[in-house]
Amino acid sequence: MDPDKTHYVTKPTKRTVFMRTFLPWQAWRFAVINMKMIGMIRLSHRAQHPK
Amino acid sequence: MVLGAGVAGHTAASFARRWLDRGDSVTVVSPKPDYNWVPSNIWVGVGLLKPEKVTFALAPVYERAGIEFVQAAAREFHPEGDGEDRTPYVTAENANGKRSKIPYDFLINATGPALRFDKTEGLGPDGGHSLSVCQPAHAAQAAAALDDEVERMRRGEKRRFLVGMGHGTCTCEGAAFEYIVNLEFELRHRGVRDRAELTWITNEYELGDFGMGGMQLRGGGYVTPSSIYSASLFAERRIDWITRAHVSRVEPDRVLYETLDGLQGEQGFDFAMLLPPFSGVGLQAFDRGGAEITERLFLPNGFMRVDADYSPRPYEQWKAADWPRTYQSPEYRNVFAAGIAFAPPHAISVPRKSPNGTVIAPAPPRTGMPSAMIGKAVARSVVDMIAGADAPTRTASMAEMGAACIASAGANPFKGTAVSMTVFPIVPDFERYPEHGRDPAGTFGEIGLAGHWIKIMLHHMFLYKARLRPGWRWIPE
Repeated sequence: MDPDKTHYVTKPTKRTVFMRTFLPWQAWRFAVINMKMIGMIRLSHRAQHPK
Repeated sequence: MVLGAGVAGHTAASFARRWLDRGDSVTVVSPKPDYNWVPSNIWVGVGLLKPEKVTFALAPVYERAGIEFVQAAAREFHPEGDGEDRTPYVTAENANGKRSKIPYDFLINATGPALRFDKTEGLGPDGGHSLSVCQPAHAAQAAAALDDEVERMRRGEKRRFLVGMGHGTCTCEGAAFEYIVNLEFELRHRGVRDRAELTWITNEYELGDFGMGGMQLRGGGYVTPSSIYSASLFAERRIDWITRAHVSRVEPDRVLYETLDGLQGEQGFDFAMLLPPFSGVGLQAFDRGGAEITERLFLPNGFMRVDADYSPRPYEQWKAADWPRTYQSPEYRNVFAAGIAFAPPHAISVPRKSPNGTVIAPAPPRTGMPSAMIGKAVARSVVDMIAGADAPTRTASMAEMGAACIASAGANPFKGTAVSMTVFPIVPDFERYPEHGRDPAGTFGEIGLAGHWIKIMLHHMFLYKARLRPGWRWIPE
């Protein structure tokens, strides 16, 4: 892979990569993401309003 | 009558059956005997699931639900009936080539896409040189080819993998994106990553466009485009990329492509998974006298005209209001289209052509959550019209609804990850949200193990729902 290409790309820190699979943090994120998605689903279903 | 038993058609038929009286009938006409939960084909394509884990037979489910099932492909559409009988009907052809007339009072066309591998020379698993994950059988073939590649790498060979779009007008970039990151994860898991060179080839102007014009995500004090996140993930996983590309030919060991600046390039591969462009399935329509009226009902790409504004306009004049709301045919009040079968008024991403006139821009995605929501809204409108309503009673504009999406980035209960995303609305509305076209509070993205857990949960939940098990209707689309 061309190093010039990747040099200008944002890369995650070790801590960020670690947190992606750190179980206690991910259990919390599981709850948060579910809430966000339920909110989006509710919002979208409300868009199916009567014409 | 519902044509097609994919996400939109199956949802429409299931809800119509539930809401209609027992005296009314619901008939599904579909050429395939099985339902396929398409999002999980990705995992079949890397060998983690068998095809039977993402499919089930429709006939027993429909029998239990009281839905008539005709396994046949719709060919002709006679919305005025014919000289003998004015009852509208569809002509469908079964596997033996026998044609039959199936009458209807209301029709929902949810036939989905035709996979147009023929648009690029050498593309596709049937007679071509590339693989696909569009169908379970294709995905299983890709998994077998991957096993062969892994064996060769274990023997010390270096192998080149190419994944992405097989034509300049493809859509579903998200599915191919999921495939390449799952592939990378699987190669690491099998201990051969160091011997693999992975390249992403796409018709997107920038990474992370996904046919939706990209997304702007708030976080860390910035509003960051999805291109930054996509490039970051690729760089982190050592996946190279080629953007703004139209694959013009697939040969046994290389693709030839043209880029937006008009240059010709080539990329070698040992394993290529390239998605095809889509079109409508090629239904022909006829009036009562037998004259062909296909052009009145369908656009040249085969998708059905609905209540969208199809006036050709430059990108600067595109509006959210161009997008359909009821999905009713402007020609026939008892005809609707849902899911991929409806013709979008235009793309979402900026349209672009190379100096040679080659269109290199993603087509708009309309799969998954929006397809199911459109199917449900159309079913409700039809049921209400049967009960006496003059016009459709429900709307489901992609410019008024959001979407929640989980893109798998590696399947493992402890080390896997997935990108969790929400966008609102799907089609940007620059009149309502002048800066980016979307509500920044409703547009979000995050990668992590939690996303993978949600992806697993959704796989089981949506298959449970599609099987119409007790309480299925309480699971949202």
